[in-house]
Amino acid sequence: MTAGFLRALWRLTSVQGAWNYERMTGIGMGHAAQPLLEDLKSADPARYAEATVRSAEYFNSHPYLAGLALGALVRAEYDLVPGAQITRLRAALTSPLGALGDLFFWAGIVPTATGLGILGVVAGWGLWTIAVVLLLYGGLRIATGIWALRTGLASGARVGAAIGDSWLPGAATPAGLVAGLVVGLAVPLAADWLLDPQGLGAVGVAVLTLLAGLGAAWRFGPRMTAVKFGLIAIGLALILAWGLP
Amino acid sequence: MAATFALLSGWGALTGMDLVTFPQALLSRPLIACAGAGVIIGDVETGLRMGVLLELFALDVLPVGASRYPDYGPGAVAAVVLASGGPWVERLGLAALFALSLAVVGGWSLLWLRGVNGRMVQQAAAGLAAGDPGTIARVQHRGLGADLVRSLGLTVAALLLARALHPVLPGGPRFALVTAAAVGAGVAAAAGGAIRAAGRGARLRWLVVGTGIGLIAAVLT
Repeated sequence: MTAGFLRALWRLTSVQGAWNYERMTGIGMGHAAQPLLEDLKSADPARYAEATVRSAEYFNSHPYLAGLALGALVRAEYDLVPGAQITRLRAALTSPLGALGDLFFWAGIVPTATGLGILGVVAGWGLWTIAVVLLLYGGLRIATGIWALRTGLASGARVGAAIGDSWLPGAATPAGLVAGLVVGLAVPLAADWLLDPQGLGAVGVAVLTLLAGLGAAWRFGPRMTAVKFGLIAIGLALILAWGLP
Repeated sequence: MAATFALLSGWGALTGMDLVTFPQALLSRPLIACAGAGVIIGDVETGLRMGVLLELFALDVLPVGASRYPDYGPGAVAAVVLASGGPWVERLGLAALFALSLAVVGGWSLLWLRGVNGRMVQQAAAGLAAGDPGTIARVQHRGLGADLVRSLGLTVAALLLARALHPVLPGGPRFALVTAAAVGAGVAAAAGGAIRAAGRGARLRWLVVGTGIGLIAAVLT
């Protein structure tokens, strides 16, 4: 790994640093591209200027997989692929990298990690659980970042095929299944851990609130968010508790 | 006292930034944010209990792209301060109400941040069109700075509010009812999110199996 590679990798950890509705992660991508474009600056200054403009244009993807696009786009600049084709490649990568990352990380790995964290805490392993979850998750994030940038740089304009042949498309489904299992396990045990010292009355209140919450979600759909229902339910319970002798 | 406040402010700011800008390493999750706050104030038990309760609510949310979502970190850190120093059974529900309110404010502040970043990009349009690497770096660093200001401001405000509310927090066994309602609402949130994410395929079956095992283990232990 060269110094430029490492600097780009570091900058990718804040690829959403200037996220905005106009260019989304474009600015972060442009910032991360600079260390990789250094050699082009001396070899072909005109191409470097064009590449820098393109590097900060509109882009959006899952942040952990942005390295795939960054590497591929930089490699395409060195391969002197026509600018219009690079712009098309950039646009074409947006949706698949977003969808794959959301499915694998946000809907799979993150609920699994936090679910395992809950299970460890409930089992009495306390802060050790938190440390292990953070280390494993951080390790996976770094490893994915390195793999993504390397794969992108190695494949250039053929990155779509490289992604299709990689582990990534096949990993989203099993990650989702494991997340379902772990969250399913963690939620009742978390509730038991929090209610256990309070007796059957508290369990009854919690079950009634749970049923009301599920009913509200069924009746109002996505308009009834978790936070909104939580604020209503806890607020009502607070008023009730205040009125009790 | 001042050192603890500074540490909590720094930790809360980091959890706020972690949600979107840097480093996105799970620090913004309530379980982690609260555990860290518990370590800082020397009350790990309250930190972990608060973290598990708020994590149930956070399991409902997927922080996807341009969508609007709550920012739990800074409020979760302050909620641990609010819940500490008394029986957690009576205080957890009240602190959860506090944390959820701040999560909503945090979500609004993210919209503000996106607007600020958008205006910075427009002001830098000439430099970006000319391919000036200095302009790109400046916009990026200002965006990160703006999120630091947002997260730190939110955390300091939340901590000051928690410190003001702490002495007047109502107590007594009847407030265990509020904690029980918070647990029920949290389970409803987590269940709703899990069912939505599962759809109708194999993931739903795995969720049902996990829930069944979890329920049996909860009854037996």
